[in-house]
Amino acid sequence: MEIISIKNTNQKNIIDKIVQTLSKGGLVIFPTETTYGAGVDATNQKAVDKLLSYKSRREGKPLSIAVPDQKMAEQYVEINQSALEIYRTFLPGPFTVISKSKGKTAQGVESEFGTLGVRIPDYSLVLDFLNAFNRPVTATSANSSGKKRPYAVDDILNNLSGKQIKLIDLIIDVGELTHNKPSTIIDTTMSAPMTVRQGDRDIESAVKIDQGEVDFISSSEQETKDIAKRLILKNWNQVKKRGLVIGLDGDLGVGKTIFAKGIAEFLQIEGIITSPTYSYVNEYDYIRHNFSGKMYHLDFWKINSKEELERLDFFKIIQPGNVIIVEWWDQINQFVGDDLQTKLIKILISENQAGNRELKIREI
Amino acid sequence: MSSRKVEKIEPIILAIDTSCDDTSVAIVRGEVVLVNIVASQVDLHKQYGGVFPTVAKQAHRENIDPTVKHALKRAGLKMKDITAIGVTVGPGLAPSLEVGINKAKDLAIEFKKPFIAVNHIEGHLLSPLAKRNSISKKAENKNKQSDDIDPKRAAKIKFPVLGVVVSGGHTDFVLIKNFGNYERIGFSIDDAAGECLDKIGRMVYLGYPAGSVIEEFAKKGDENRFKFPLPMTQSKDYNLSFSGLKTFARNLVIKLKQEATIEGKQGLDKQTIYDICASAQHGVFRHILHKLEKVLENENIKELWLGGGVAANVTLRKILRFKANQYGIKFKAPYSSKLCGDNAAMIGLVAAKKFERGDFIIKPADLGKIDRNPKWRVGEKDN
Repeated sequence: MEIISIKNTNQKNIIDKIVQTLSKGGLVIFPTETTYGAGVDATNQKAVDKLLSYKSRREGKPLSIAVPDQKMAEQYVEINQSALEIYRTFLPGPFTVISKSKGKTAQGVESEFGTLGVRIPDYSLVLDFLNAFNRPVTATSANSSGKKRPYAVDDILNNLSGKQIKLIDLIIDVGELTHNKPSTIIDTTMSAPMTVRQGDRDIESAVKIDQGEVDFISSSEQETKDIAKRLILKNWNQVKKRGLVIGLDGDLGVGKTIFAKGIAEFLQIEGIITSPTYSYVNEYDYIRHNFSGKMYHLDFWKINSKEELERLDFFKIIQPGNVIIVEWWDQINQFVGDDLQTKLIKILISENQAGNRELKIREI
Repeated sequence: MSSRKVEKIEPIILAIDTSCDDTSVAIVRGEVVLVNIVASQVDLHKQYGGVFPTVAKQAHRENIDPTVKHALKRAGLKMKDITAIGVTVGPGLAPSLEVGINKAKDLAIEFKKPFIAVNHIEGHLLSPLAKRNSISKKAENKNKQSDDIDPKRAAKIKFPVLGVVVSGGHTDFVLIKNFGNYERIGFSIDDAAGECLDKIGRMVYLGYPAGSVIEEFAKKGDENRFKFPLPMTQSKDYNLSFSGLKTFARNLVIKLKQEATIEGKQGLDKQTIYDICASAQHGVFRHILHKLEKVLENENIKELWLGGGVAANVTLRKILRFKANQYGIKFKAPYSSKLCGDNAAMIGLVAAKKFERGDFIIKPADLGKIDRNPKWRVGEKDN
């Protein structure tokens, strides 16, 4: 093991030394804007195994990678819109951005679910050696798992076994770091839409609902509820005979749940209809004029495959007497296809300039 | 048991909670938490970004046996040392609840232990009462003394207490008239407070779940830069509504993005995002505080307790503690963030209280009547 003090060595020599060590599969302890980090070549299996035994007791926790820029990140992870925004706004900086991995790192780096955290540290020495090395380096704090946060080289060495110390090849010592917190983790792997996705609807749906005429304009929650009540009254025979599916789309906070509340009022469901986002499915029994059935209120913003849809028993709940209200219908439109054995009413809610809600309704 | 000690013997409860994400098993002695194990499924759920019912059930099935064993081992206890079994029977996800209930029934029958059905929200309500097990065997006597002297610990609870539960799934005001005697006097009529913050986080691309990132970012932001509206000021009741804050955030983000485009910027800058987080969090907490004040004004509340996942938020604790001080009442919150999230220790604590009141089932034949109760509200009649 070699310890280089940054004061006595010129920058170029330090970078060369780090790159040489990493190239040989060595383990380097280096400073960052958060804590001291432990780095090895993230694409070299032997090097990663060495790091894992250095950290000890990882219990399957994934590592992250440090890269010098977004360009290199793109080679290792799929950067979606959400991640792109974070990269643009917050990197380089003390953040770990989790994305779907492209599977190009050594085993043990990405999570068992195929996701990978990426760091672009705001620390010029690190960016310089990453650029020179031209490969990603593992980004994990230099302490052994569960030990003191490493702000000084002594913090690290005093808490390691002799065996662990032997695994270190190079330490870059810049003295004690400012006691900043570890990086904030931002998980962007949820590919769910922030807004209604334009593209999907054009391709998948026969009805381009968003381009059609506005059917209703509502200036209050009560009006939106009344529109919902009229709609279900009109389709009441359909509900009794085969069940009815109502697919709602519209941005966050536009009033999809308000529409569902209107339907619940029509069905004379007592109690409050709350958001199903957290639970995926809320189920309510109703009795209206001696006719009973169930209302299902679903939220599909997190659903990305037909398999998930089936796991939620979506197709099984479509029964005579049942009213199924789906928020974020466009998430699943493509998975439903011809399997829907009953009538579908699609509703797109948007807000106009005047702050009123515009509803476009299509019966399919 | 033939203990001849004069002092009251506190029941030792093995408690199970599988109401949603986490398989949790705890062992408590009265109010003292001996072990509280949360076998986190968070990673498992991250790919779905929430609680996916079938996945949760499968994971609970795999986790439950090892977690029970682990809890006993960590506490250094055997099943024979356990007084009774407590388990969450609702509210929660039905398939997940079932796994915990079945395990608890099996244990109750096999080891002939009383079975105690617990409401998950009652767990959050009483979680501020949990005490650390700082008493090692050696220091036991010494600590017992100091426990008695400590006025905070020794002071008798003054009822009625107002319990505030704030989490990803709930925002409730519950009047605690006594242990086992509750009345839900206010609740959110749409999104829960934690859920609202999560969704606002989504609007500024903070990933999912965004709650903890928002708390982090709010510390760096200006909470007064954007004035979020105060919802439901006209309504006389104690109910809350967060959908208006969500809508306000959406329009705010759209407007700020348009302004940024006009200025030739690519999108929102870092400080603006910090300020949105700080302002949104402030808006959500201000709404809770406003309704809380209403309760404190009109009801004769003697103590204020805070529980639930968002109770781990330091700012929320600070605001509520300050308010309690203003009204000259005692404020209590769980001693650790682990006790704020879903955990079995709080279930054990409730079970211990129920055991002391004789509210449990002994006959195996009666266990058949116990079923999961996914919508069980606190304040409703026990099943």
